[in-house]
Amino acid sequence: MIASMVQSKAQRAKFLAFCLLPTMILFAVFSVYPLISGLYYSLFKWSGSGAKKTFIGLGNYARLLEDPVIPKAIGHDYFLVFFKVLGIMVLATFFAVVLTQFRIKESGFYRVVFFFPNIMSVVVIGILWTFIYNPDMGLVNSGLRAIGLDGWTRPWLGSLTWALPSIVLPAVWAGIGLFMLMIMGGISGIPASIFEAADVDGATKWEQFWKITLPLVWAQLKASIIYIVITTLNGSFVIVQIMTEGGPNNATHVMGSYLYQQAFVNYNFGYAAAIGVLILALSLATVLCLQLFLKREKIQY
Amino acid sequence: MKPMRQFAIGSALRIPLLLWTIAVIFPIVWVLLSALKSNAEIFASPWGLPQVFNFANFAKAWSSYHIGQSFVNSIVVTAVGTVLNLAMAIPSAYAIERVPFRGSALLHNVYLSAMMIPMVLGWIPLFFLLMKFQMLNNLFGLAVVYAVSRVPFSIFILASFIGSIPKELEESATMDGLSPYGVLLRIVTPLAMTGIVTVTIMNGIQFWNEYFMALIFMQDQAKYTLGVAMDFLNKKAQYENAWGVLFAGLSVSMIPVMLVYGFFQRHIVRGMIEGAVKG
Repeated sequence: MIASMVQSKAQRAKFLAFCLLPTMILFAVFSVYPLISGLYYSLFKWSGSGAKKTFIGLGNYARLLEDPVIPKAIGHDYFLVFFKVLGIMVLATFFAVVLTQFRIKESGFYRVVFFFPNIMSVVVIGILWTFIYNPDMGLVNSGLRAIGLDGWTRPWLGSLTWALPSIVLPAVWAGIGLFMLMIMGGISGIPASIFEAADVDGATKWEQFWKITLPLVWAQLKASIIYIVITTLNGSFVIVQIMTEGGPNNATHVMGSYLYQQAFVNYNFGYAAAIGVLILALSLATVLCLQLFLKREKIQY
Repeated sequence: MKPMRQFAIGSALRIPLLLWTIAVIFPIVWVLLSALKSNAEIFASPWGLPQVFNFANFAKAWSSYHIGQSFVNSIVVTAVGTVLNLAMAIPSAYAIERVPFRGSALLHNVYLSAMMIPMVLGWIPLFFLLMKFQMLNNLFGLAVVYAVSRVPFSIFILASFIGSIPKELEESATMDGLSPYGVLLRIVTPLAMTGIVTVTIMNGIQFWNEYFMALIFMQDQAKYTLGVAMDFLNKKAQYENAWGVLFAGLSVSMIPVMLVYGFFQRHIVRGMIEGAVKG
């Protein structure tokens, strides 16, 4: 308060400009402008060189509707969203409850270890799991052979049916630690007296979980689910790109990996921008729906 | 009866915990061990222990496969990116949090909502923008893009740290004749150091691990960062049987992050959680 009274108006404006303007300009140039001109590019047919840029209106969007890869890619995206949310939330909630509600002396150890995959690069995780699925020397097939299930071995990432489910596992593996910690944060905010009262009333841990823990960490669960959905729709293509590059025969293409292929392999920049708009629109719509859906759920408790 | 039952429950619950511990640790240890094996050993017993510790893979990865160059590139991009990011975020976070002005809440919300909007769509125009600025295939260009991309996150975390600094400290510094620039540099910045460390570590890990923008924007092998170099090596290793080299490379990109995590565990966990809740 005093600070602002002592300074003259002009000095204050100068100081504010010093603090805010350089950041705002760089942010506008490198974040806002690219997003907006992405929308603009999607109206052109363009192979990258300046001269051949032709305006085709909504032509790229019409092409989206006819492209057989697009519905497949959208389906794959939501397949990953669904199974990642399911796998991560079930396991992360389970671990969070076990580590907070039961007296596990070494819980600090698990907390540190489970977080390891969250600091690893997706590239490392993708390469690692490509090895685990390697048809000849991979851990999965060696394990199956070791217990006599030779018939179940298959080239996991090369299989039309199994490639996509195989990608879910590393994604869940890499995600659990962070969300476990978020949910643990929520649980530790619940007053211990509530659980003590429930103990006195003879409620089992199982009942306590459904009636106390779950409703009271709903905010954290909701935030986690929305975060997983956003990062999956917009980032899952990185692991796809590394593990399968969208193959075999487009069986694992998600919208993001298809965008990359269209833009930087086939040089259809306009069409790729339209795919980018589609990704943005779908992820915003999905998050909005989830906000509504998860809000209604909450009232039931 | 009750203690017995407690013990039984405790043991039963430890089984999934231990299984997950193995699921997490085993692949990581396996990469580190495989880096010490010869190619022949990797093929003969891919999941066994190395016979002798053999550091040849590291030497080969470092020089013949340019991992040394990529390591240096990653360090440069990470260091320049984090410093630039702080230079942009600290003054902005301070002004938004502590200097009242019209539109302050609006600006804060613009930055916050930017955390929700994914950049995938922006990558194509960004590619041409960097091309126009002659910043394609340029480590400094990549660092600028990285730094700007994390401005919203850094402002969000730093604003909450700066908000918890007592106002009286700033006021008395002003009474002593310190200019607002001086207050920002000598009072606020040192007092927000915990937040600054958190943000720096989080951004550093992010930049170190980033892959996709580096893949798009860096085109010469000499300019590859570790993520791109690993992907390149992975695709090459299949034809050249350079598995040992690949694992050595993976270890080189993993170990620094693991060490940083070891030292700054609390900062990282806190930053990640807060970033995720708002992100």
